[in-house]
Amino acid sequence: MSTLIVRIALAVTVGLFAAPIAVGLLTGVDRRVTARLQSRRGPPLVQPFYDVVKLLAKEPTAGNRAQIFAAWTYCLAAAASVVLFCLGADLLLVFFVQATGSMFLVVGAMSVPSPFSQIGAQRELIQILAYEPLLILVFVGIYMATGTFELSAIEAYPKPLLLELPLLYVALGFALTIKLRKSPFDFSTSHHGHQEIVKGVLTEYSGPFLALTEIAHWYETALVLGICALFWAPSAWIAAGLVAATYAAEIVIDNTTARVTWRWMFRYAFTAGLAMCAVNIAWLYVR
Amino acid sequence: MQLFVAYLANGMACAPRPMPMTSFLVLLVVAFPVLAALACAALPWRAGRTAVVIATGLVLASASIALLFVPTGTVSSVPVGGVSLDTIVTVGDFALLGIMFAYAVALRSAIVGTLVVLQAGPLAWFETTMLDHSAEVPAFSIDNLALVMVLVVSIIGSLVIAFALPYMDEHEKHLHVTRSRQPRFFFFMTLFLGAMNGLVLSNNLLFLYFFFEVTTFCSFMLIGHDGTKEARESAHRALWMNSLGGVAFVAGIFGTYGTVRTLDLGQILSHGSGGLLLVPVAALCFAGFTKAAQVPMQSWLLGAMVAPTPVSALLHSSTMVKAGVYLVLRLAPAFTGTFLGTAIAMCGAFTFCVTAALAVGQSNGKKILAYSTISNLGLIIACAGLATPLSLTAALLLIVFHAISKGLLFLTVGSIEQQIGSRDIEDMWGLYARLPRTTTVAVIGIVSMMAPPFGVLLSKWVAIESASGVPIVVVLLALGSALSVLVYTRWAGMLLSTPAMSSRPSPETQPTLAKVALYSLAFGALVLPAALPLILNRVASPMGIATSHHLEDLGISLGRGGGALAFVPFYAVIALGIALTFVMSRSAPRVRFTAPYMSGVPGDVRATSFVGPMNEKVHVVASNYYLSSIFGEDRITVWVNAAALILLVVAIVGAVR
Repeated sequence: MSTLIVRIALAVTVGLFAAPIAVGLLTGVDRRVTARLQSRRGPPLVQPFYDVVKLLAKEPTAGNRAQIFAAWTYCLAAAASVVLFCLGADLLLVFFVQATGSMFLVVGAMSVPSPFSQIGAQRELIQILAYEPLLILVFVGIYMATGTFELSAIEAYPKPLLLELPLLYVALGFALTIKLRKSPFDFSTSHHGHQEIVKGVLTEYSGPFLALTEIAHWYETALVLGICALFWAPSAWIAAGLVAATYAAEIVIDNTTARVTWRWMFRYAFTAGLAMCAVNIAWLYVR
Repeated sequence: MQLFVAYLANGMACAPRPMPMTSFLVLLVVAFPVLAALACAALPWRAGRTAVVIATGLVLASASIALLFVPTGTVSSVPVGGVSLDTIVTVGDFALLGIMFAYAVALRSAIVGTLVVLQAGPLAWFETTMLDHSAEVPAFSIDNLALVMVLVVSIIGSLVIAFALPYMDEHEKHLHVTRSRQPRFFFFMTLFLGAMNGLVLSNNLLFLYFFFEVTTFCSFMLIGHDGTKEARESAHRALWMNSLGGVAFVAGIFGTYGTVRTLDLGQILSHGSGGLLLVPVAALCFAGFTKAAQVPMQSWLLGAMVAPTPVSALLHSSTMVKAGVYLVLRLAPAFTGTFLGTAIAMCGAFTFCVTAALAVGQSNGKKILAYSTISNLGLIIACAGLATPLSLTAALLLIVFHAISKGLLFLTVGSIEQQIGSRDIEDMWGLYARLPRTTTVAVIGIVSMMAPPFGVLLSKWVAIESASGVPIVVVLLALGSALSVLVYTRWAGMLLSTPAMSSRPSPETQPTLAKVALYSLAFGALVLPAALPLILNRVASPMGIATSHHLEDLGISLGRGGGALAFVPFYAVIALGIALTFVMSRSAPRVRFTAPYMSGVPGDVRATSFVGPMNEKVHVVASNYYLSSIFGEDRITVWVNAAALILLVVAIVGAVR
């Protein structure tokens, strides 16, 4: 009993605090590397935390009450999904909890009658539509390889999943790029402040509520990277290396590609992405 | 699976014990609505009708709950006034077919006429030459599946009819009807409940067919209620498409009787799956498909949206379409593990995915709900086709939770339409400022369709887990699920799209009965999922469709104890999250509400314009992406129908071979 309590306490601590802090630092590294690639010096490693603290200290302003509710739901659902992940819950349930958070980000953005925020929300919905099927199919592939959706059992699977699900890992990377809202798929937030839709889905979140969306984004990133780590569960070191290599690849892609249109992304996700999933799943099926 | 079959065999085919209380309650839930319907038709005053409808609701709700506590099993037919029930049903069958033929003549509809003759002719031949009338077949049988259906029909159906009382007054006022047609309307609405209860309780295939036809006829009358050209055409389409199902049903009766020489559903299902029985079972499933509006037969359900909204709410949440999925689900033991089962699963999953895609391209609120309904019915049929204990559990859960959430959504769209005069979602931007109560209920309905821990999402979760072994089905489920998230998230967002308000908007007035219906359904959608473990243990587990082992599989979450306890950690995290969300978002009194960013000075407080060049106010318009180049109805319906037709043919040919 006491070991169970310790286990739960540990999982909650890691999920609630360690995971977002690690991703915050990773974001700092990301910004440094990106700066170097662009021949800039870049901010300190902990700049993302400074940013969030600054936002939290600002005067709270919002468009309406629904938006406040949505910001909190986004953040807490993302946090809950990471905690459930650390507790070894059901992979699909973890995903659905996370998806609820993303839905509320959109609802919050749409709840303010601002054209920029609403266009951003519509685009974010299309991003969700592009990555959700890919993620579900990655989970189904994991199920077909391991015979379970239960995370604690998937972690105990003796063989590295990457060797059985290579194409699904590529599809996961695809979903990760969309989920991170990095270039070439940053069209819902249009990450550069001066562009046509200002800051898209995030335009109307400000002050502490913008901080909430940033923290939620850390949780979301932690979750997707955690799913990447599942692909080499037998060895924690190799898993860490895999996650690092994947994120490094994301940084390179972010800095070497230009933003695409939603049509392009949609077509690509629904043809190349789904085809890779289908081929991998078919191979698992006939094997 | 053997358990399920064995359960049905034991539960349904055992010698009937005398169960006076059970027989009485069965009689009550089937016959009381019929009497109430006659009273509705006969009473010219509104107060009398209201009293009858409310009394029927109370009687049905209490009787259906009481059924949970009496012994279950089969109930023999009792003679009514010296005439056996079998005779009454037979006479009823031909009377009904006669009425339909008369309508076919009146409508000059060759297709309906032909389809009616194709039912009546073979049926007459069957009754006179083939059927052994001396064989005793228990008329009704009560098991957990039937109990769940009776509860859904009696409680949700009654709430919808209660909602219809004030709605129809307003509706007739709006249409400037000189002589109220409400007696006729409530006659068919109330009759529908009796027919549905009869359908799900029938053990005799002929009884099942009779009630099946009654629902077809009632839906025809209700869809055409307003008598406009469009209503008449839609009603006609519903009639011929469902009559096609009726013909398939008669063929199914023929084939079944020819193979196993009985009409006792319990005995038929005790034969297990496969063999010669597959062909008639395929025909019966096709009948279920027509009733559940699976592609390519979806157009009758879309056309049915011309009817007054309570009709849509009744037909497309708790009754009519659920009769179709019930039939397929009931027949599951007969196709478990066969090609037919897989083919049914594929057809269902295909419907689930493509109709979710079609919903993306729609801005008509009722049409979105219609497509979403067909989509969810497809999911239920996919689960029934897979016919594993887990998938059958998912199907059962979906029937319950979809009925609640979709009933609620139809009723809110009806309320909104009466108050703003439009059912287009583009007219619902910022509705919260105008109709805070209705909008709140609508958002509850939407969230309950797509977010954990609510029922529809949890059922979808069980469905995806149970389909994981069948790649094509699961790919379709993944796609459809993402598409429906887009549709509903968008809708919730636009309903709430209001500028900052200094005070809460003043609530609109709602008729008492509308409030009762809306709030009860919203309460059910929010609270019933908490009882999910109880439902699984009390209903699904004794049904044999989910053994305790499978419940443990379901509770994979955290607890290894299995059963209800397994859900506790998941619920704990979610409940904590929801509670925190409420606490944190309420405890922000210092928040300053500001106008949105407009790239310029806002032109007015309601944030619909900004000050542009030359101090001109520039009006701002944003609307949804409907992606009609990809998901437009006119673009894909043809291909969807063609593909679905091929799938159906493959299913049926596969079953025959």
